[in-house]
Amino acid sequence: MKPELEKILMKVQKPGRYTGGEWNSVVKDKHAVDVRVAFCFPDTYEVGMSHLGMKILYSLFNEKDYIWCERVFAPWVDMEEQMRRNGMELFGLESGDSIHDFDILGFTLQYELSYSNVLNMLDLAHIPLRSADRKGLSPLVVAGGPCTCNPEPLADFVDLFFLGEGEEVDLEVIDLYRAYKKEGRSKEEFLRAAAQIEGVYVPSLYTVTYNEDHTIAAVTPEPGVPATVKKRLMLDMDRSYFPEKFVVPYIEIVHDRTVGEVFRGCIRGCRFCQAGFIYRPVREKSVEVVDRQCHALCDSTGYNEISLSSLSTSDYTKIDELLDQLLSWARDEKTSVSLPSLRVDGFSNELMTKIKSVRKSGLTFAPEAGTQRLRDVINKNVQEDELMKTVNMAFSGGWNTIKLYFMIGLPTETMDDVAGIAELGQKVVNAFYSNPNKPKGRGVSVTLSASSFVPKPFTPFQWEPQDPIPLLHEKQRHLVQSVKTRKITCNYHDADTSFLEAVFARGDRRLCAVLEEAHRMGCKFDGWNDYFSLPRWMEAFEACGVDPAFYANRRRSFDEVLPWDHLDYGIRKEFLIRECQRAYADTTTPNCREACSACGAACFKGGICYEDR
Amino acid sequence: MRTVRIWFRKIGTTRFISHLDLTRCMSRAIHRAKIPLWYTQGFNPRALLTFALPLSLGVAGERESVDIKLEDDNLSNEELLERLNAAMPDDLPVFAVTDPVMKPGKIAYGSFVMTVDPEGRDAEALAQQLTELFHRDSLVVPKHTKSGFIDFDIRPYLDRVEVCPVEGKVEIRAMLPAGSEMNVNPSLLLEAVQKELGLDLYTQIRRTNLYDEQFHAFQ
Repeated sequence: MKPELEKILMKVQKPGRYTGGEWNSVVKDKHAVDVRVAFCFPDTYEVGMSHLGMKILYSLFNEKDYIWCERVFAPWVDMEEQMRRNGMELFGLESGDSIHDFDILGFTLQYELSYSNVLNMLDLAHIPLRSADRKGLSPLVVAGGPCTCNPEPLADFVDLFFLGEGEEVDLEVIDLYRAYKKEGRSKEEFLRAAAQIEGVYVPSLYTVTYNEDHTIAAVTPEPGVPATVKKRLMLDMDRSYFPEKFVVPYIEIVHDRTVGEVFRGCIRGCRFCQAGFIYRPVREKSVEVVDRQCHALCDSTGYNEISLSSLSTSDYTKIDELLDQLLSWARDEKTSVSLPSLRVDGFSNELMTKIKSVRKSGLTFAPEAGTQRLRDVINKNVQEDELMKTVNMAFSGGWNTIKLYFMIGLPTETMDDVAGIAELGQKVVNAFYSNPNKPKGRGVSVTLSASSFVPKPFTPFQWEPQDPIPLLHEKQRHLVQSVKTRKITCNYHDADTSFLEAVFARGDRRLCAVLEEAHRMGCKFDGWNDYFSLPRWMEAFEACGVDPAFYANRRRSFDEVLPWDHLDYGIRKEFLIRECQRAYADTTTPNCREACSACGAACFKGGICYEDR
Repeated sequence: MRTVRIWFRKIGTTRFISHLDLTRCMSRAIHRAKIPLWYTQGFNPRALLTFALPLSLGVAGERESVDIKLEDDNLSNEELLERLNAAMPDDLPVFAVTDPVMKPGKIAYGSFVMTVDPEGRDAEALAQQLTELFHRDSLVVPKHTKSGFIDFDIRPYLDRVEVCPVEGKVEIRAMLPAGSEMNVNPSLLLEAVQKELGLDLYTQIRRTNLYDEQFHAFQ
């Protein structure tokens, strides 16, 4: 460790975030590699280290002898203060070297509220924020992750975006960079060549023009540049790269365990859920492959807990078989298996006994809406009697703590729908007391957690207005007032942050100036309640003459040009329009396993679209 | 079931991890080394790890130990050493595995080496200044206890403290009460330096060994 760093570390909280040197971290000779990559996660160490995508790409890059990929996280404010005071630039955890001189800085964009941290991290590395101000080939600033499905609010800062899954396209771009660096070519030449790679979007090669009403008139590519950019994805998940090692942190992180990825995509098509559309089609791994990967990871990390990850793990076609296979060795190795995302209708007695067999954790389900009508609007396809059956099964199995997730502010929602959330909670409480097999001598505890709906690109609700903040507050109050028992705990997310999230989720390039101004005013860690300040953001909007309500609270017409229309995630706009119309007719749509609804994802020529139903 | 004592060093990056994190880190290393731990027989089976004496965050340790209970006693201590070392992070090396001799409860003293960076000052002069400070009749510093800060005179515990200049830096070598009965944290000496001399100097602290009441090294 560098002495300057050691001195600072005694003055900050949780210094273990900044030391590097963890088990399985990769240290190489910097003179023996051609490309130095900083994988930047714009949030704290604990959050970023929990992210599976980073673990996959970190190992993938470092398996190439000519690449050295290091991890970089946003330093917490106390560390930032020390770094700025001591003139220390943002550094890679593996080498301790400033990332200012790295070849490629790759940011992963997992949520809109981390954008201010992206700028702050560039600033901490003394790198010009705007792409146009970075003249040389390096450092090249790139970004990937789910938010790149609408990367426009970052278009002025990032040189190129990766659309979709990165396992192949990231390496193609790194290889191209390596060749161009050797030949001493310019950044312009490189970006033009990179734009020809499928899944690569170079925003500076597209010009956006606007109408008088501030909507977009057209997005025009420069000559020779593809008019639309299509996302990349891994079709054969069994053969897709997956690491055998995770870096094992010294300090406790949010998800501190082995992660087994069982499939990508989701069959469900809940209409509010962006992940349910942008990761299509569903592609499963086989039981053998998941089992082998989990076992190898437990061996190399020493973790004694496995989490089976996907958008909806109980939808895995061979979930029982997989659990049996895992438990055949996990029990002896004192290792537990948990399923983080269970559906109300995917919870069986058999499943329950298996996840209980090693350690018992709380149960969480997401009905998302309080009434059947609204659940049909959002295509959640969960019936009330299914929820009652499931909670009764859990109560009989010894559980007495249930957490239920909901959203408020969904399209077509009325105050009755909001009250329905409390009523549903009450029914769960009643079910406990009328269950003859309930745990003896203990009461029931039901938590109702309500977040605010944020309309997202590539969903059937991408044209919807978000409820204004005062209305969200009114609905939150109504929910709390509708709860009549102390057995129910009610909590809700801050509406202010959901508003900002809504602005940036469907924002365009005019937000770049706002983001830069907000950064200048000190906005950072917007996802953290201790740091987020809506008044400061409103000042930034005002200073730039941009009305945030235009992005968050305005209903778009189906024929408006959307900021992300030139990006192709395989999902056809006609399908999304059809789904939006079905939502307003309270009509559900069958899931991908029941019937194909012709969303367009079959264009990728694989996955569930080509399986027998 | 048998108990073995694992001897390790906590140096470099690992001196910045808390005792709780060290416990987790050690459990995982043991799991990776495939050492058959003995688990408690209760409702939530768990392995028992007993550290001789926890270190404060930021303090390095040259001769730290943790006791573990093994299910299978066919493993020799040499084999345990080899397997563990292959599974430990670089900054947490294991240098011996032994059968425990003393009980951790017998620990009464710890020896510390504190390397002070004079930050441009003359090391000889600074060493002299510190020696004089530690020889005053009393040296009261604020000490953090369960019931808040109290005024605490550390002077009675400083009879085994030496200060000397070493290669442009100043080393404070101190034998201080350590253990369950009485404990004087070496950072209190730095506290005194700051309070009395107004110097806030960057100092690396290492605990080099542990001793019982009679100053026999902990075995």
